Amino acid sequence: MDMEELILELKNKILEALKLEDMTPEDIDEDAPLFKDGLGLDSIDALELMLLLEKNYGIKLKSPAEGKEIFRSVRTMAGYVAENRVK
Amino acid sequence: MKKVLETRLSFGAEGAEKLVELYRTHVGNYPKFFKMDPLCRLGFIASEILLNQENPRKYDCEDRAIVLFNRSASLADDSEYQKTIRDPEDYYPSPAVFVYTLPNIVTGEIAIRNKYYGETSFYVTEERDDDLIVRTAALSFLDPAITSVLAGWLECPDPEHYEADLFILEK
Repeated sequence: MDMEELILELKNKILEALKLEDMTPEDIDEDAPLFKDGLGLDSIDALELMLLLEKNYGIKLKSPAEGKEIFRSVRTMAGYVAENRVK
Repeated sequence: MKKVLETRLSFGAEGAEKLVELYRTHVGNYPKFFKMDPLCRLGFIASEILLNQENPRKYDCEDRAIVLFNRSASLADDSEYQKTIRDPEDYYPSPAVFVYTLPNIVTGEIAIRNKYYGETSFYVTEERDDDLIVRTAALSFLDPAITSVLAGWLECPDPEHYEADLFILEK
């Protein structure tokens, strides 16, 4: 799977996990911040993103703080997944 | 003391879709709706329809309380959460589902939406007792700062049964 495919897969999983029912993958800019100004996600969403990584890619983060850099954007998330996935 | 506005919603299995439809036609532009569990979606939509009848609609105030009742507490969401933890081989407890495993979350959702700063409470009773609901809601007026209460019955034992009967009680 190349990076663009992974980005699209992540966008779809994010929409489903965070119940962003009014949005499509095209609505998410892969380089925009996921939190605050971007998608406006909150702390519960951060926990759901951690769960998403664990459930789908076998990546276990120790704390939300660790996810701060990883969850900066969909692209940074995809980069981390590509390097660290175990499934 | 008098009831001034009322709203009643009752749905079966079509309820989940109906609530989304009502959201799109009567509310919109509040993405948090989609994150809510079935009980909160029901309470949110019923309260929106109720409050849209107010003229002017009360907003950002300290003189309105919220008092709700039901029979099944947050059972619909509790069951959904249980699904995420019942299989040791597929054990992924969902934080977003967990946060709705209390019935009084819906009173908070309504208060946040409308910026109500009065007391909020949620009671779970074995049977619906409309007289008890009115008497309990009226207790809010013991606080002299409260002039009205959004009160009523809000029951959603599972995503196939929805029953809301909300009203505004004025001092």
